[in-house]
Amino acid sequence: MFMLNRLIILIGSLSRVVMLLTGLHPSWINAAERPDLKGLQVHGFLSQGYIKTTATRNDVFGDSTRGRGSFDFREIGVNASYRPLTNLQFSGQLLSRQTGEDSKGGIRIDYGFVDYTAITTETKEVGVRLGRTKNPFGFYNETRDVPFTRPSILLPQSIYFDRARNLALASDGIQLYGESRSDWGDVTLQFVTGFPQVDDKSTEAAILRKNQSGDLTPRLSYLGRLIYERDGGRLRLAISGAQVNVGYDPAAKDRLSSGSIEFFPLIFSAQYNAEHWSITSEYALRHIEMKNFHPLVDKSFTGESFYFQGIYRFSPAWEAVLRYDVLFTDRKDRDGSEWHVKTGFPSDSRFAKDLTVGLRWNITPAIMLRGEYHRVNGTAWLSTLDNPDPAFTDRHWNLFAAQVSYRF
Amino acid sequence: MAVRITVHYLCCIFLLFLLISAPFVASAPQTSGSVEVVVHLSVNIRHLSRNSLRAIFGMRLRAWQDGSPIRVFVLPDDAPLHNLFAKEKLNIFPYQLRSAWDRLIFSGTGQAPFLVSSEEEMRVRVATTPGAIGYLKRVNIDDSIQILHVHVE
Repeated sequence: MFMLNRLIILIGSLSRVVMLLTGLHPSWINAAERPDLKGLQVHGFLSQGYIKTTATRNDVFGDSTRGRGSFDFREIGVNASYRPLTNLQFSGQLLSRQTGEDSKGGIRIDYGFVDYTAITTETKEVGVRLGRTKNPFGFYNETRDVPFTRPSILLPQSIYFDRARNLALASDGIQLYGESRSDWGDVTLQFVTGFPQVDDKSTEAAILRKNQSGDLTPRLSYLGRLIYERDGGRLRLAISGAQVNVGYDPAAKDRLSSGSIEFFPLIFSAQYNAEHWSITSEYALRHIEMKNFHPLVDKSFTGESFYFQGIYRFSPAWEAVLRYDVLFTDRKDRDGSEWHVKTGFPSDSRFAKDLTVGLRWNITPAIMLRGEYHRVNGTAWLSTLDNPDPAFTDRHWNLFAAQVSYRF
Repeated sequence: MAVRITVHYLCCIFLLFLLISAPFVASAPQTSGSVEVVVHLSVNIRHLSRNSLRAIFGMRLRAWQDGSPIRVFVLPDDAPLHNLFAKEKLNIFPYQLRSAWDRLIFSGTGQAPFLVSSEEEMRVRVATTPGAIGYLKRVNIDDSIQILHVHVE
C-alpha cells in the first residue's frame, strides 16, 4: 500500500513536469504533425520491471526471493533539448529510478548542460559542453537507464555495476569533444573534467561495504573516451579511461578517518554490427586505491571484467541475446580464497560469472517487452544494501527478469 | 600471468573483428535507384558523399555549407522505404540509425530527426521546409523538390 502511494506521488510529480514542458510548447506530442523548426524537442521513457531470483537467498532490485518476486524496478525519464542555432544546444533530463534499496525512486537531474560547437565543417567538429554531462564510458554508460538502448534488461554487471552506478554516471564540469569523419572512418574523442556524484548511500555501501556515518565527497576527476567507427558503425572500437577521485568526510565519532579513494578504470570495447546479428565485447581493468581510512580498510587492488555478447535479430520485431559476463573483484585473487582467509567473508563475494539468455519483442517502435534468464556463479555484483549480510547469500543462483517499456 | 591473459584476450578480440570485417570490405555497395535522396529547392548543392549523407542522417552534421540548418525528415523505423533507404543510400541498417539517434537523444548530445507518417507527407514537408532533406521513391518525385545525388567512394 505504501509502495502504491509512493508510485502515485511519483507519477503525479512526473506528469506535472511533463505538463510544464508541454505547456511551454504544446506541439511536441505530435512532432510528426508539426515539426518544431525552432529546435525544441521533448522525449522520454517509462518502464516497469520484474525480477525473481530462485533457489537462492540473493536479492536483486528489492525482495526478489519472495514468492511473487519483486516489482521494485522502474525507470522513468523525461528530457528536453533546445537548439536555437545549429551549433548551440541546451539539454536536460530528469530521471526517476527505483531499483530495490539502491535507488529509491526520487527525481534527479540526470544531465543538464549547454553544448557549443566551436568549429564545424562537413568532416570535423570541435566543441565544449558545460554542466552535468553523462560520462562517455564504454558503449552503454551514457544511456544506461534507457531500456531501449540496452542489449538486455540488466546491463553486463561486470562493467556496468548497478550498485556503484553513480560513481560512473555523470560529471559536473566541462566536456571537450572532437569528431573527424572520413572514408577511413569516424573518430570521436571526448574528455571530461568534473566532479562525480557520490552523495548517495548506495555508492557509499558499494565502496565502504555499508552506509558509514561520514559522507563521501566528490573531488575533481578526469575521464576520456576515444571511439573509432567504420562504415557507419558496422565496426566500432573504443577505449575509455578515467581517474575518479573521491574523499571521505568522517562524522564526529567515526572509526574511519578522512581517507581518499582513487579509482582508475580502463575499458576496451569492440562491436560488429551485421544486418541480422551483432557481437559485442568489452574488457575492463579497474584499479582501486583506498588510503588513510583505517589500516584495516586501506587497500589497493585491481579488478578485471569482460563479457562476450551476441544479438540475433529474427525480424525487426524480435531479437535474442546471449551473453557470458565475468567479474573478478581482485584479479590477483580470482577465486576469493585470500579474501576469505583475511576477512572471513565468503570467497564467492569476490567474483561473478553470469550466463544470460534473453528475448526482446518490439511490439511497436514505441513499446518493447523483454524477458531474460541469468545463471550466475558468484555474488560479487550483488547490492550490499539489498543483501546486508554477506554470509546470507548463495554462490549459485538464478535470476528471471521481465520488463515492459514505453518511449516517446 | 594476469597480464598474459589480458594480452591474449585483446589479441583474440582484435583478430576476431578483423576476420569478420574483412568480407564486408570486399562486397560492393548495391544501387537499384528506386529510392532517391530529396532536398528543398533552396539547398544549392546537387552532389554529396555517402559519408556526409550518413553524418546528416546520423544527426551529426547539422548545417549546410552556407551555414543554414539541415532539417532531416524520416519515415517510421519499420517503414519498408526507410529500410531500403538506409541500406541503399547509407549502407547501414535501420536499427543502427535508431541506436545512433537514441544515443544522442537520451544523452542530450543531439536531437532526433523529424518523423513523417507517409511518403506524401514526406514530399510536402521537404518541399515546404527550407534546408529540408528526406527520401522518396523515384516515382513520387516532382518539381516541388530536387534530387541530391550521392557518390559512393
